[in-house]
Amino acid sequence: MTARHLPLVDEGALPYEHPLYETLLSIPGLSVVTAPLDALLTWGTKNALWVFPMATSCCGIELMAAAASRVDLDRMGTIIRATPRQGDVMVVAGTITVKMAPRVKLLWDQMPEPKWCIAMGSCAISGDFYRDLYPVVPGVDTFMPVDVYIPGCPPNPEALMHGLLRLQEKIGLRREGKLTQAEYRPGLLDLTKPRVGRLGDVTRDAGLSDAQLEDVSDMTRRDLAEESSEIVPRAEPVREAIASSSQEIEALLRDDFGVTEFPKDAAPLVSRGDHRRLAHRLRALGYAQLIYVVATHFPAKKTDPERFEVAYALRSIGRKSTVVAWRVALAADETIASIVGVFAGADWQEREQFDLVGVRFEGHPDLRRILLPADWSGHPLRKDYAADTAHPPWR
Amino acid sequence: MNELVHGALYGTLIATAILSTIAMGIWFERKFAGRMQQRLGPTIVGPAGLLQPFADIIKLLQKEDIVPRDADRGLFDLAPILAVVCSLGVAAVIPFSPSIIASDLDVGVLWVLGIGGLMVIPTFAAGWGSNNKFALLGAMRAIAQSVSYGVPLVLAVLVPVVLSGSLSISGIVAWQAQHHWFAVWPIVPGLPAFVIFFLAMLAESNRIPFDIPEAESELVAGITTEYTGAKFTLFYMAEYVHTLVGSALGAALFFGGWDGPFAPGLHWMVLKTLTLFVLIYWVRWSLLRFRADQLMRLCWTWLTPIGVALLLVSAAWVTFGGTN
Repeated sequence: MTARHLPLVDEGALPYEHPLYETLLSIPGLSVVTAPLDALLTWGTKNALWVFPMATSCCGIELMAAAASRVDLDRMGTIIRATPRQGDVMVVAGTITVKMAPRVKLLWDQMPEPKWCIAMGSCAISGDFYRDLYPVVPGVDTFMPVDVYIPGCPPNPEALMHGLLRLQEKIGLRREGKLTQAEYRPGLLDLTKPRVGRLGDVTRDAGLSDAQLEDVSDMTRRDLAEESSEIVPRAEPVREAIASSSQEIEALLRDDFGVTEFPKDAAPLVSRGDHRRLAHRLRALGYAQLIYVVATHFPAKKTDPERFEVAYALRSIGRKSTVVAWRVALAADETIASIVGVFAGADWQEREQFDLVGVRFEGHPDLRRILLPADWSGHPLRKDYAADTAHPPWR
Repeated sequence: MNELVHGALYGTLIATAILSTIAMGIWFERKFAGRMQQRLGPTIVGPAGLLQPFADIIKLLQKEDIVPRDADRGLFDLAPILAVVCSLGVAAVIPFSPSIIASDLDVGVLWVLGIGGLMVIPTFAAGWGSNNKFALLGAMRAIAQSVSYGVPLVLAVLVPVVLSGSLSISGIVAWQAQHHWFAVWPIVPGLPAFVIFFLAMLAESNRIPFDIPEAESELVAGITTEYTGAKFTLFYMAEYVHTLVGSALGAALFFGGWDGPFAPGLHWMVLKTLTLFVLIYWVRWSLLRFRADQLMRLCWTWLTPIGVALLLVSAAWVTFGGTN
């Protein structure tokens, strides 16, 4: 089917046979019909490859397109099952992050044998150009076996169909005990060698698989471990008339909050102590929607020490909708009052800023990591954070 | 003794016929679904993809059998077997021709409602035994659903019972062969009762628009979430058997069963059953899923009162001498 320019390799026999198979072969009369029986079983296995989709990114869209008209995976008997228990082929379609990797591994382990894996697209194959980024796993073959690689970014539906046909061919060859075509050039592998070795790599650390398995068994408990039960009482402000013009807001900030500078190119700086009171006051004035909470890290320079700035913006709801924004400056060791009690929407936004920048929000009911795994060290959006930080055992 | 031999022989015959029909039914459904969505459906495995269900079954039987660690082993293993038994059991009292019937029970309608209603037990056993939140949610929805559609189903089935004055299904069919089909005359209790029966049957066999217990986009795969290989195959089969037997029941109760001109009775029964079978697929691949509360509202505020009214109309019809 494909050009035979890659070396032939021995991937061994199938790792799993149904226990009944042995029993069947041991029946004396049946050994005569072993070959046709084997052919029948292989035929069945090859022609009903149900896909369990692990679609995390744009490749998933192509996977969906492959199941729809024009390409139609159902022509060859492939349907998509949502539960790992009924899948035969896991199609990993998309970038796998270090937080997702244990979940993928868990789902893979839940699939019944015999099972196969297709790495669809360059992210699933090697992490592609995200390979050196702190949260990205450099290819799913660093933690689970892959049978067919489909290159592309993303591969089109026809390429996925081709990959499934290659898998069928491979299943047939492996059951007959024949050599299969290698999936990649060994030389190419050295070019994109990840920090954690691929499963087929002889230099891979022997303890890595166990470490990964241990991480999988522990992940949920770890992610929920830091949960606190402190609940901030919700303050319902009394509604005042909407202050719509920027002059009125400026007057409010100047008179009640002691703000003196109003720079043209940035939001005004509000003192750390006044910040929560300001949010409450603005909410009462009709600024009911929190648009963003963004923290920025400024590393230490020759003259300035390390500092943080947290910017907020609110929007008023109604016909003449306006936006008001302010900033709070923090020294490296200072915390900021959480505004979750005023705006419920600040909950996850503040968690994200805590996770990525490391600003601590005082009075937040549940301040723990939201995007990165709970056992992550450091805050990646700080300017002094190395982008390709390792996170064993996944990258 | 003679009856026992007759029952065993015909029961085996009918069960074999149903099981081979559903293998083709799976092929037909995938082909039909493909055409509805401007696809081709299976084409590669065998001529026109005809061997696809056999490939599926051969593959499924070779898969590893996984039982979750904390599952209730007994319930988990029993549920798929019970599901097939319950769905095939209904077929025992359905006459496929004047003579082809496994057991001509005098209370055939009661048997059908009882065994059909028992389907809830394997469903809940699977949901509970899997120790999986999605399976349990699916099972809970199935119970809620069965309580809702059960009442209109009974009311709809009672209409032909009252009109013919017989609780035996072959008796109902014989009455229709002698007089007229209930879906045709008397049209007012007959046809609406069939519509209610059809809707309730869709709900009972978990077909779209009432496939709330398995709702793939919400519950992964509902009660079958934890089932692999052979046990999943049994559930898969039970679902199709249920649909097919439900179609046969509808044909017998409302469309005169084996009654028809020119051809032998069996031909007519098969034709009517398969027509209803196709109708179910047509509905399945055309409509969207109801929400659980929408199904409850439909069943309790529309189908149940209408069913009661239809029952009263048919009682009046018999009392004031519609036929005979």
